[in-house]
Amino acid sequence: MIWEVAKREITIRSRTKSYRIITAFILLLAIAGPIAVKLWPGSDDARELAIGVVQDENFSADFEATAPLVFGNDYDLDIVPVEQSEVDELLAQDAFEVAVEPGPTLVWKSSAEPEVGLLIGASLQQSALVGRAGEQGMTPTELGELLAPIDLGERFVEDQGETSDIVITMAFIGLLMAFAMPQVFGQLAMMSVIEEKASRVIEVLLSHIRPRTLLAGKVVGISLLSVAQMVLVCGGMLASLLLTTDVDIPNSAYLFLPVLVICLLLGLVLYITLFSLVGSLISRQEDAAQVMMPVFLPIMGGYFVGTNAAFGNASSLLARILTYVPFTAPMLLPVRVARDAVSTPMMLVSLAGMALTVVLLIRLAGRAYEFTLLRTGSRIGWGELVQLLRSS
Amino acid sequence: MADRLVVEQLHKRFDDIVAVDGVDLRIEPGEILGFLGPNGAGKSTTMRSILGLVAYDSGSITLDGEPIGPTSRRSIGYMPQERGLYMRMKVHEHIAYIGRLAGLDSATANDRANRWVERVGLVERRDDLIQELSTGNQQRVQLAVSLVHEPSLLVLDEPFAGLDPVAVATLSDVMVEQMESGVSVIFSSHQLELVQDLTDRVTIIAAGRTRVTGTVTDLRNSSPDRNLEIVWQGEAPHWQPPDIAPLPDSPAGVSRFVVPSATNSADLIASASQAGSIASIRYEPPSLDQVFLEVVGQ
Ligand SMILES: Nc1ncnc2c1ncn2[C@@H]1O[C@H](COP(=O)(O)OP(=O)(O)O)[C@@H](O)[C@H]1O
Ligand SMILES: [Mg+2]
Repeated sequence: MIWEVAKREITIRSRTKSYRIITAFILLLAIAGPIAVKLWPGSDDARELAIGVVQDENFSADFEATAPLVFGNDYDLDIVPVEQSEVDELLAQDAFEVAVEPGPTLVWKSSAEPEVGLLIGASLQQSALVGRAGEQGMTPTELGELLAPIDLGERFVEDQGETSDIVITMAFIGLLMAFAMPQVFGQLAMMSVIEEKASRVIEVLLSHIRPRTLLAGKVVGISLLSVAQMVLVCGGMLASLLLTTDVDIPNSAYLFLPVLVICLLLGLVLYITLFSLVGSLISRQEDAAQVMMPVFLPIMGGYFVGTNAAFGNASSLLARILTYVPFTAPMLLPVRVARDAVSTPMMLVSLAGMALTVVLLIRLAGRAYEFTLLRTGSRIGWGELVQLLRSS
Repeated sequence: MADRLVVEQLHKRFDDIVAVDGVDLRIEPGEILGFLGPNGAGKSTTMRSILGLVAYDSGSITLDGEPIGPTSRRSIGYMPQERGLYMRMKVHEHIAYIGRLAGLDSATANDRANRWVERVGLVERRDDLIQELSTGNQQRVQLAVSLVHEPSLLVLDEPFAGLDPVAVATLSDVMVEQMESGVSVIFSSHQLELVQDLTDRVTIIAAGRTRVTGTVTDLRNSSPDRNLEIVWQGEAPHWQPPDIAPLPDSPAGVSRFVVPSATNSADLIASASQAGSIASIRYEPPSLDQVFLEVVGQ
């Protein structure tokens, strides 16, 4: 029976225009996001550098060829041929940052940039080499072999850098989802509960199934719907990322992914249940805003503390506490795991806390729903709910 | 025959409102029972107790001899007084869904839904959303929803309220058809026009308590009153039974009286025919309406 209710929820919701539009919109964002970032001018980290070069048979032609090789991918070079007479004026106007005049001499506006200076020097050195090699009767191929760059690796004593950057980015995207999706799908569940009461179809339903079955089916259905959307969006984003960037995905990201997914799922089910519970307490749409407040608070709190934990202090007292509060854990745990601020045993404690809360909450919501419907159909307060919780 | 449904001494109060205060009723298989009472008498609360939609305080409800429970309630079909359907489901889809909730497998639910779509005359609207239907057509869906799982007991709360004459005819037909196939039907009403045509037996409640129960004929006959109507040839003479004044709204040439049932009717007729020449005479127990008003004390 739970499955029947869940199936109805999925078919009817996914048939609504608003659901389709929202899903299509998010999917579009997920796919277009990485592509847009890729295509955005200047979004690669290369620095734009304009160099004025006074034409001189000794070096200018070769310099244009060697400079990009020497400067590498970190610079986006713009080599501007200039007349000797214009150099000072153009530099003063910031037409380029530095100029090379015969000598060779570097001309700066007011202050020198040592790194740029060194690189230009190396480029000039290279172009001079090309000229001298020709004089010695060396072919360009031989010269290439002579000058073949050595492959310089890197390693870090402390774990940091790009690897954890990717994981933290994943955690932050997860935080955004853990913030937004429970609100969207939670409210969907709540509206669905209220709608059945308002339209009175509830009487017919309850003449066949128990209130807790109805509620459980709704939670299952809407959770599946949200998971489907999540998979769609994540899949779209992943595909788009893999196609547009050449970043290697580090192993730590694959280890982190399951933690993130479990947290997201538990968070979704937890809040969908909580919102349904709230919906079961009231009989009119107008009362919704008031009873929803207590549910929004942990979501907001978790989001703000979570953002801070992702980019600031991952081990503030508040962040540490909220990692073990089941209502904020879905937002705090992944970012703090990504920042390497939670030990594995404590991570399991937090996960277990969430799972246990979901189970208790589903039972409580079922009872509360049964109670409100069979008693009078009028609303009950949080106080009575606490009593109900004790008695269950 | 063994009773299908028995309700004994049902009580239910909502905070300080006593809604049901000792309702008794019973229905046999293949019977239609009219459940009558003025507004607020407790009819809906009794029916909702049968369906498990309110938790009653005391009393007993048995179905086919067993205390009623979630499983046995599955053999009940219910049409609530406040009709309710999912506005964004399609006609056939909705009927089949309720069928599955009632325990049918999906193939059977689909077949039955098809049959009921046809039976209530909605073949053309089969795949329309409920919200696109007129109120009358929504009522037809509501009826199909209560019958799709082929219940053995049909509980209809004010089923005729707000129906157009065609829908009334369809509903009456369906009710009789169900009765003839052995289904027990209980329907509530505070309007009595249709009840007499449909049912043998009625139970009348007022202020939460069962007042009388029996066949319409018995109830009428057991009344202490009789209606006497004499149509005279020509002008009405100045005649009346001993100590009884004519009813004030009698038309010209007609005399109407309410006389005690103990009165000897032959003596009355003899006395009247001496006073004038009689065109026709009617001497009969009160109508169900009158019995109803007497019983509920209005
Ligand atoms: N859920 C409820 N909460 C409070 N009072 C109710 C509720 N349901 C019914 N009542 C009250 O119980 C009495 C009987 O109502 P009801 O069973 O609907 O009567 P009927 O169907 O015969 O018109 C009425 O006074 C009504 O106001
Ligand atoms: Mg009623």
